[in-house]
Amino acid sequence: MQDREVSLLRPYLLTSGRAGPIDRNLEIEAQVLTTELGAASHASLSFERRDIVALCTKTMSVAEVAAILGLHIGVARVLVADLAALGYVVVHRPAAGLAGDPAMIERIIRRLEAIS
Amino acid sequence: MKQSAESRTPTPVKIIIAGGFGVGKTTAVSSISEITPLRTEAAITTASDDVDRTAHVPDKTTTTVALDFGCITIDDDIKLYLFGTPGQDRFGFMWRDLVLGALGALVIVDTRRIDECYPAVDYFEKAGLPFVVAVNLFEGRLSHAVADIRWALAIGDHVPLITFDARVKVSVRDALLTVLRTTLQRVTSPAAQG
Repeated sequence: MQDREVSLLRPYLLTSGRAGPIDRNLEIEAQVLTTELGAASHASLSFERRDIVALCTKTMSVAEVAAILGLHIGVARVLVADLAALGYVVVHRPAAGLAGDPAMIERIIRRLEAIS
Repeated sequence: MKQSAESRTPTPVKIIIAGGFGVGKTTAVSSISEITPLRTEAAITTASDDVDRTAHVPDKTTTTVALDFGCITIDDDIKLYLFGTPGQDRFGFMWRDLVLGALGALVIVDTRRIDECYPAVDYFEKAGLPFVVAVNLFEGRLSHAVADIRWALAIGDHVPLITFDARVKVSVRDALLTVLRTTLQRVTSPAAQG
């Protein structure tokens, strides 16, 4: 694990000074995938946004984006929300009420039981 | 275009792995995750207090807390994330985000430092999140009787208390299964919760 000393000012610069995500409820496990528009606009984006668009050609979570790019989780949420608002990425959020769906939980149990 | 993009995207679900520092959260995640656990940091504004071990600072400060996580692909449609968090009172801000939509939680206990998991137990009880307390058998032995641990944590009989070895994949799998079965029971017979 490389050491990342990120200045506390840096996140605010990255997110243009906003204190929180546009969508404050964006889950850190939400799945992010670059759209064709995002891929086509890649060259016009600035550093971190470009990195995210390049990274998410393969689906991954907001948490993975943060970890891989060395961003604070809050910063990753803001940037992903920004990119989603621009149509450069699509965000697949957890389905509401999924945690209360017995069929879903049973399905996960069966799959986990098969792990050895 | 969007349609096809989304159809390739699994629905994420998560289980929270909580416990004090060095209790084996990351070990547990490593044992079963299909990716090498990743670490990310969240910035937290906190009022420091006397339990803050890094408290050579004024009363209010911004600190970062590490979040270690891994994942298991359940099938084409579902991806299970495991988020390990150092469950401390002052990290409440992050806990709200973590707990929202979680299937349940595994609270790992080191019997030499039982008190370190009080905040996690307390938080999950208040949040109504199904959880299981798991004693990590570091040396393959228990330094306290299980009944004493239950008493010390003041958890009801509806909360499963298990022992496991965070280094062993099937042991972690079984601990997660206990969490999921607890959640399933809660969902199918809500009246059973204490």
